[in-house]
Amino acid sequence: MSSDGMRTRRRGAAAAIVAASLALVASGCASSGSSSGATGSTGAAAASGDKSSTVKISLTSDGCEPKPAKVPAGAVEFDVTNSGAGSVSEAELRTSDKAHILGEQENLTPGLSGGFSLTIQPGTYKINCPGASQPDWSFTVTGQATGPSWESNPQLVTAVQGYAGYVKQNTADLVSHTKTFCKAIDAGNMNQAMMLYPQARAYYEQIEPVAEVWGSLDTSIDGRWENPVTVKSQFTGFHRLEQMLWQDKSLNGASAMCAGLVKNQQQLLTLVSKAQYNPLEMAAGATDLINEAGTAKISGEEERYSNTDLPVFEANVVASMKVVSLLQPYLQGKDAGLVPQIQQRHDAVETLLTKFKATPGYDQTGYVEYTTVTKSDRRQLSGAVNALAEAMSKMSAQVSG
Amino acid sequence: MASRDGGPVMDPARVEPAEAPAGPSRRRLLTGAGLFGAGAVAGGLTGYFTSSATEPSGAGDTSLGQQTIPFYGTHQAGIITPAQDRLAFGTMNVVSGTSRADLRDLLRVWTGAAARMAAGQLVGEETDPNAPPVDTGEAVGSPVSRLTVTIGYGPALFDDRFGLAARKPAALTDLPPLPNENLDPDYTGGDLCVQACADNPLVAFHAVRNLARIGMGVVTHNWMELGFGRTSTTSTAQATPRNLLGFKDGTRNIKAEQTELLNQHVWVGQETDQPWLRGGSYMVTRKIRMFVENWDRDYLQDQENVIGRTKVSGAPLSGGAEFSTPDFAKAGGDGQPAIPADAHIRLASPEHNGGTHILRRGYSFTDGIDPQAGTLLGGLFFIAFMKNPSQFVKLQTALAGDALNEYIHHTGSAVFAVPPGLRPGQHYGDALFT
Repeated sequence: MSSDGMRTRRRGAAAAIVAASLALVASGCASSGSSSGATGSTGAAAASGDKSSTVKISLTSDGCEPKPAKVPAGAVEFDVTNSGAGSVSEAELRTSDKAHILGEQENLTPGLSGGFSLTIQPGTYKINCPGASQPDWSFTVTGQATGPSWESNPQLVTAVQGYAGYVKQNTADLVSHTKTFCKAIDAGNMNQAMMLYPQARAYYEQIEPVAEVWGSLDTSIDGRWENPVTVKSQFTGFHRLEQMLWQDKSLNGASAMCAGLVKNQQQLLTLVSKAQYNPLEMAAGATDLINEAGTAKISGEEERYSNTDLPVFEANVVASMKVVSLLQPYLQGKDAGLVPQIQQRHDAVETLLTKFKATPGYDQTGYVEYTTVTKSDRRQLSGAVNALAEAMSKMSAQVSG
Repeated sequence: MASRDGGPVMDPARVEPAEAPAGPSRRRLLTGAGLFGAGAVAGGLTGYFTSSATEPSGAGDTSLGQQTIPFYGTHQAGIITPAQDRLAFGTMNVVSGTSRADLRDLLRVWTGAAARMAAGQLVGEETDPNAPPVDTGEAVGSPVSRLTVTIGYGPALFDDRFGLAARKPAALTDLPPLPNENLDPDYTGGDLCVQACADNPLVAFHAVRNLARIGMGVVTHNWMELGFGRTSTTSTAQATPRNLLGFKDGTRNIKAEQTELLNQHVWVGQETDQPWLRGGSYMVTRKIRMFVENWDRDYLQDQENVIGRTKVSGAPLSGGAEFSTPDFAKAGGDGQPAIPADAHIRLASPEHNGGTHILRRGYSFTDGIDPQAGTLLGGLFFIAFMKNPSQFVKLQTALAGDALNEYIHHTGSAVFAVPPGLRPGQHYGDALFT
C-alpha cells in the first residue's frame, strides 16, 4: 500500500488511517480472502494478542447463518459463498441495532464466493442478507477488547463505524456522479457537464481528509494547477476538466482525462473500503475540512475557473458536521458545552451562507457565482468559518482517550 | 569637502543622464564628494550610531548593539555572520534606458554607502538647511547593531542590456516549477537584491531604504520584505530560534565554524564557469506563507509528526536532545518509523538528498492580515546560500510529499548570484564589469 504515496501523517496515539487493516475483498470475483491485512493496524494491537477466527457464511434463499455464530474478539475473516440462491447476493455485518454496516460482501451471484475481514470488539452483532426468508442472524463476539482503549467504548466504536460507512458511501457516490459527469463530456454536452461538475465535486469534498491520506492519488484527482508542480502535463483530474470547461471552452482530450479520473476514484474506493479509522483522526479530519473551506474556498483558488466555490464550501461544512453528529453522544458526556458551541458557530456559518443561496443558482448549484461575493462578505464568512474550526479543534483531545 | 554646488549631491534621478552631451556626467556627480563627505559639521544629521570609541553610545545601548561586522573580507558579510535578529530585504530592477556605465557607477556608490553604514556612519552628512538631507535619518542614535549589507545579481541582469551576457554563470537561471508553489509575480525575481541584517529593525530598514534612494533613476524597487525574527542559526554560539509554527528551526543548519561544509556546499569555487563569482555564493529566497490558524488547530502530536521533532525541546522523534542526530531508520512503538516517512526533517535532510546541504538564513515575516480572509499574511521569508541553486531545487523537489505542505505555500521566489567579498578600495561590480 505504500507504492502510491500513501501518507502516514496522522499517527496518533491510536491507529492511523491505515489501508488494508480492514480488508474488504474485492467484490464479485472468487477470492481466497486471505487478506494479510486482517491484523490490527498497530504494533500495540498485535502485541495484545490477536486471535484470528474464520466464519463461514453460505448464502441461501433461507438466509445466511454464520458458522460459528460465536467467536472470540480479534481478527475475524468471513468467507461468504453463494451456492445457488438467486434472490440473495450479499451478506453484511451490522451493529446489533442494524444501524451501521461494519463489513460486507456484495454482488455474489450464484456460484461466486468472496468475503471480508475485520477486527471486531466484544458484543452482539447481526449478519444480514437482504432478500432471504430470514435476513437477520445473530452473531456474538466474546472475550476482552483488543486494540486501543477507545475500541472498548461503544459510543466511539459506533461513531467510527458510522464514519467508515459515511466515507465509503460518499466515495461510491463520487464514482457514480463522476461517471455521469463524464458521460456529458463524452457526448460533448458542455452545459450539462458544467452543471454536473460541482455535483460530483461535492462528494470528494466530503471525504477529503480521508482521500488525502493517499497523497499522490489525491493530487491526481483533485490537484490544482500548482499541484504537484506548475507543469501542464502533470495537471489532471477534476480541476483540469474544470479548466477545459470554463476557461479553455474546449473538450479536446476531456473524455480521456475524465476516464482517468474515474479510474483513480475507483482505486480510491478500493482503498477507502479497506481503511480503518479512529476517533482522533475523525475529529482532526473534521477540523481539516473547515480549514480547507476557510483557506482554499474563501480565496476562490479551489474553483478558480468555474467559480463554484460555494457548493463545495458547503460540502466541507456538511461533512465536518457529520463527524460532530457521530461523536456527539460521546462528547455530551465529556464536555457538555462543546457540541452546543460548535452548533452555534455552525449556525452562524449557515446564516451567512443563506445570503448567497439562489434558485436554481449559478450553474444550478443552488448558490450565486462566487465572484459576486464581495470582499467584506468573504471576510465575514471566513471569520465565522475560523471560529467554527477553532471550536471543532477542541474535539480531538476529548475523543482520543 | 563639499559637493560641486556646496550642497549634497543629488540622487541620480535628479541629474541628467550621462548620455546628455551638454550635461555633467552622472558618473561624476555620483562619485562627487558630497555623498560621502567626511567633513562633518555641527548641526544636521551626524553619526547615526556610535560604534567607535570616539563617540559615546546612546542611553540603553548594549555592547552587542555597538558591535560592528567588518564590511570587507573574503566573503560578503551577512552569509555566515551569526544571524542577526532583523532583516530588511529589497529587490530592485534596473530602470529602462540605464547604461552599463550607469549601473556600474551605482554599484560603486552603493559600495561606499554600504561600507559607511556597516561602520555605523550615515550615508552622508550635510548641514545645508536648503537641501534635502542626504541620509534619511531614521537610524540616527541607533546603535550599529551588527549591520551587514549583502548584494546579489539576478539572472535577468545578464540579459542584453548591460553587455553582461558573457559573464552570466551557467548555474544562474530562474528556478524551475517546484512543488507547492503558486508564485505571485509581485514577490518574484529581481535584477538586484540587497539583504540588510541587523539586531535592530530600524538599522536594517534604513540600509535598504537609503540604497534604494541613492539608486533612484537607475534602479527601482521591485519588492521588499521585512523579517522580524531570525529562524536560523548560523553559528554554534547561537541558540536555535523558533519559527511561526512554534518549532525550533535550523538545528541542523550549516554553521560558520564548519569550514569544510561551507567549502563543499556554500562557497562558489573552481567549478564555476565565471571566475568573478569564486568566493561568492548563490542565494535563493522563497516567500512562504504559513496558514498559522490551521496549524494552531492541529493537535500537538500531529504537529510533531509533521515536523519530525518535539515541539518544546526540538529533539528528533527518534530520541535524544535537540542536537542529537536524527535516526531515520528507528521504528516507533507502533512499528512505523519514529520520524514519519513524510516528516519535514526527514525529507529535507542531507541523508534523504544525497548529502545535499544548504545554509539557511531565513526570517519570520508578516504582511499583516489577508484583506479577503481576515487571516494572517505571514510565515517564513526563506533565505538560503549555496554553491549552486540546483541544491535548493533538489531539496524542494524532495519536499513534494512533505506533510507540512498542508500548512504552507510558496508565494514568492528569487535567485541571485552573490559576488565574493571586497578588499578596501574595491567596489561592487569591479570583478563583474572588468
